This record gives sequence, C-alpha cells and structure tokens, in this order.
Amino acid sequence: MSRIELIDIEYYHGKDTPYEIHALKNINIAIPEGQITGIIGHTGSGKSTLVQLFNGILKSHSGKVMIDSEDIWQKPKQIKRFRYKVGLVMQYPEYQLFEDTVYKDIAYGPKNMGLSEEEIDNRVREAAAFAGLDAELLERSPFDLSGGQKRRAAIAGIIAMRPDVLVLDEPAAGLDPRGRDSIFNNIREYQKTLNTTVIIVSHSMEDMARLCDSLIVMHDGEIAMTGSCDEVFSKADELVKMGLDIPQITKVMQLLSEKGIDVPKGIYTVEQAVEFLKSLRKSKKEALQ
Amino acid sequence: MKNIAFGQYYPARSPLHRLDPRVKIILTILYIVCSFLCKNVWSFALLAISSIMLIILGRVPFKIILGGLRPVLIVLIFTSIINVFWTKGEILLLEWRFIHIYLEGIFSAIFIIVRISSLIIGTGMLLTYTTTPIALTDALEDVLSPLKKVKVPVHDFAMMMTIALRFIPTLVEETDKIMTAQKARGADFSNGNIIDRVKALIPIIIPLFVSAFSRAGDLATAMECRCYQGGEGRTRLHVRHMRFKDFIPLVLIVVFGTGLVLLNIFAPGFTMS
Ligand SMILES: Nc1ncnc2c1ncn2[C@@H]1O[C@H](COP(=O)(O)OP(=O)(O)O)[C@@H](O)[C@H]1O
Ligand SMILES: [Mg+2]
Repeated sequence: MSRIELIDIEYYHGKDTPYEIHALKNINIAIPEGQITGIIGHTGSGKSTLVQLFNGILKSHSGKVMIDSEDIWQKPKQIKRFRYKVGLVMQYPEYQLFEDTVYKDIAYGPKNMGLSEEEIDNRVREAAAFAGLDAELLERSPFDLSGGQKRRAAIAGIIAMRPDVLVLDEPAAGLDPRGRDSIFNNIREYQKTLNTTVIIVSHSMEDMARLCDSLIVMHDGEIAMTGSCDEVFSKADELVKMGLDIPQITKVMQLLSEKGIDVPKGIYTVEQAVEFLKSLRKSKKEALQ
Repeated sequence: MKNIAFGQYYPARSPLHRLDPRVKIILTILYIVCSFLCKNVWSFALLAISSIMLIILGRVPFKIILGGLRPVLIVLIFTSIINVFWTKGEILLLEWRFIHIYLEGIFSAIFIIVRISSLIIGTGMLLTYTTTPIALTDALEDVLSPLKKVKVPVHDFAMMMTIALRFIPTLVEETDKIMTAQKARGADFSNGNIIDRVKALIPIIIPLFVSAFSRAGDLATAMECRCYQGGEGRTRLHVRHMRFKDFIPLVLIVVFGTGLVLLNIFAPGFTMS
C-alpha cells in the first residue's frame, strides 16, 4: 500500500506555445489507501492528465507529487521506481500490445523490472487470472484477441508488475455492458484480494457509484468535489451544472422522496433500489394486516 | 508532443493568413527570384526591409522566426567567415601575417546573410507560417493543374499529400500514447547503449505499424464507400475565388522587383563581387 498526495499542482499542455492549455489548476488531493477511489469529470476535464502525474509520466510545472511522503521528482533518475509502484493502465490500452504472444506481452513489465524467469512466470499467470483472461489465451497472438480480451491482456500487463497502487483510466470505455460489468467485477475482486489502493477514472456515474468507496470530481482542470458517494451525489444540482449526472436510479429515489415516501439516502444501484422497494412493500403489507 | 509545430503553421489573424494560398505560392517564387536580383548595398537593404515588413504583416513573433533560422545558423556563420577572410578587394581594413580583411569581404558576408535569411523568412512568412499544410496542398494542385494536360497525375499526388498531412498529427499523437503506455511498464528510451535503445523501440514501432495499417485500410474502405475514383469530375467543398484585392500583392511584388533592379543600376554603392 502506498499513499499518493498531490500538493499545489499546476500543469500546462504545450507550455509556451500558441496552443497552451492550462490542464490542471491548483490541485490538492490525497488518495485514501486500500480503497477504490473514483475520479469523475466530463471529457476534457483533465482526468487523464491528472493520473499521468501519479507515476511521473508527466511532470507538473509547479507543485509536488508525494508517494509515501517522498517527492517522486526528488531524484529524476529514479523515476522508474515509481512507475513500478504506481501501475497505470492508460485509456484504450490495447494499442500497447506488441509481442507475438499474450504471455510475452504481459511479461514485458516484469522483465523490465529485472525479475527471474520463475518469478515472471508466476506473476504472468496470476495477473492473467486477476484480469479474467483464460490461461489458454496466453499462447495466442495479442492481435487475434477480441476487443475485450485485448483490454484484459493490457490490464494484466500492469497487474503483473504488482503495483502498490493500480490506476485505470476509463477501463471500460468502448466495451459492451456485459464486458464492462465483468471487468469491473474483476477489478473489485482484485482490490478485495490484495487490499491494494485502486484509482479508477470514468465519466459514468452509474459505474462509479457501484464500485468506488470515495470520489474525486473534476471540472475544467480543477477539483470540484471530493468525498464519499453519499456526499457527492447529494449535490446533484452542482453535478448537473458540471455536465455530469447522478445515477438514474438515484433520481427515481429522489422523486419518490419528493412524493412523500421515506426513502433512505445512498441508493445508487438498481439492486439497492429493488431491495428497498421490496422492504417497503413488505412493511406496507404488514401494516394492512 | 502533439505541439511539435508540424509544418510550422502559426495560427494568427493577419493579412498574410487571409491571402489566397495560390497567390502566396506565386509570390514566394517571385520573392525568391527577387532575392537573387539584388546586387548592391541599396538593393540588399531594400530586401532586408521587405523581410522585416513581411514578419510584421504576418503577426508572427520574432522569437519563432529566430527559431526557424537556427538550423541554418551554422551555414550562415561558416559562409560569412569564408567571405570575410577570402574575398579580395581594394580597401584593406586589417593586415596581420597571412590574414587580409577587406571592406568588400565584410560586405559580401553581410550580403550572403541577408540573402539567406530573407529566403527563409520570405518562404516562411508567405507559406509555412501563414498557410495550413492542407490549404497549401490544395493550392498546389490548382497551381500545377496545367500539368494535367500532359498527363501528370496532379490530383492523385495532391490527394496523397493531403492524406499524409492529415495523418501526421494522428501518428504523432499515437506514438506519444504508445510511448507513454510502454513507459508505464518500465520502458526506457534514453538510457543504455545503442543496442538497448534500438531494442527499446520495438514495443513502439510494432503497435504503431499495426494501427497505421489498420487506419489505412479503414480509410480506403471509407473512400470507396463514398465512390472515390480519382480526380475526374471531382469538385471541392470550399472553392476559392480570386478577388480583386488578391491581385494587389502580385502588383506589389513586380514593383518591388523593378525597384531592386533600378537600385542596382542607378544607386552607387558596394556591389557584390
Ligand atoms: N497531449 C496533449 N497535448 C495537448 N493538449 C492535451 C493533451 N492531452 C490532453 N490535452 C488537453 O488537456 C485537457 C484535459 O484533457 P484530458 O486530461 O485528456 O481530459 P479527460 O481525460 O478528462 O478527458 C483537454 O482540454 C485536452 O484537449
Ligand atoms: Mg481521458
């Protein structure tokens, strides 16, 4: 487990060119350990830029990135250490596949770490299992896999480095609902088993509500809100103003409560809603009898 | 990496940016000819002034122009040194052992510097800084269209250029993304010996080729679906019409060239040897 802290971060894309974009403004956050943290925001709000600071892919123009109270840019030569510590799965990671078998591709990261053959073999198989990739696919060419399988292979390539913190940038973008649910289940499973810190970037409230312990909302390069799902979704008006939305089912529940039904707070998933409605019906029946 | 100014286009609002690209191509050719017309101090001075005026007219910052001159700096320094030390003339300025420096030498060094910088500034201001690469290819197709009569496939070349230009930013962006993804897996492109570095490129080149080929295939299919079959009978979405004010710069450059020639003939001064 590792703690990530960002202090007074400013970042510009294309600094000192006519195309300069102030992508991150005055970012101060600390990522809770051993939890799943969601980063939400609409497209272009700076989510991908933010997560690329965590492992030193990008270097902020001012401010500090601290991992376990250590400034990661203290010794720029040693930045690789943090690349292994914070595993980053980029948006649409399937384009990173290049080896002739999936096995070798997953082994690329661990190999760069200089591990022994045996250790690499262990890690590749373990990572493939976590990512929900069938063992028989390991000997196939990554270019013959389906879209969802490629995505899993790419995620396994990062998990195989056994990072302290796993960061996934829109891991379900472009997948069908079933593929999306099953990848999220795999991530949840992985987090529970290893108790690592996981950070997920998304703009889907529904997915985040289901998965995350706490949320960071980004808007125009700034941190607009942080807190638990309850805290964030209770500010529906603000979210809508930022081009975001609360989960559909939460809206339904809000409407019910406006109609005078006593609805508990914090219902984000259809399952929770069903549970609540069932109990409601039961209590009504009991009241009639 | 996306902002590696491809083709150096500098977005701004200026008369030069608005000028018809076809006119700009012709102007550039004439400007190059003009720079070779210069013979003496006065005509070179006029050339230098015209370059500065072009920069002001195009609203491109001096810093960027200087950046554009940097690649030829070595050539400039080298040729001017040769000119200073090797030109023989009549007015001796300095004599020390085997070194003789004449005033003529100094002048011809300055002439060379002015000529080369004006060439670069002229083509830059008239074309590369103020015209997007795509507009440039379209204009080139128009300017070269008389060659279609002698069966030169002008349209096809222009189409190839356009497609290539269109995909350069995409490929640069893609390279950037792939490099980032591999860096996240501990790839190292800047350390190690030559063999290590070449090996480090494999994880970038393979995905890049895979995606470039699949893109090319997709594009070909998309073009065929829209019945693309070459230039025959094809019209443009944006057709440019020459207006009266587009002809003014052409008149100006002819006046400019004539002025240079007259200065060469009638204004006495140091002449290029
Ligand atoms: N490599 C880049 N070069 C220039 N601008 C970029 C680059 N990457 C992102 N941007 C810009 O930075 C802003 C934030 O983008 P990004 O972090 O990708 O947002 P998100 O992931 O939330 O969609 C956007 O305005 C985007 O256009
Ligand atoms: Mg993004």
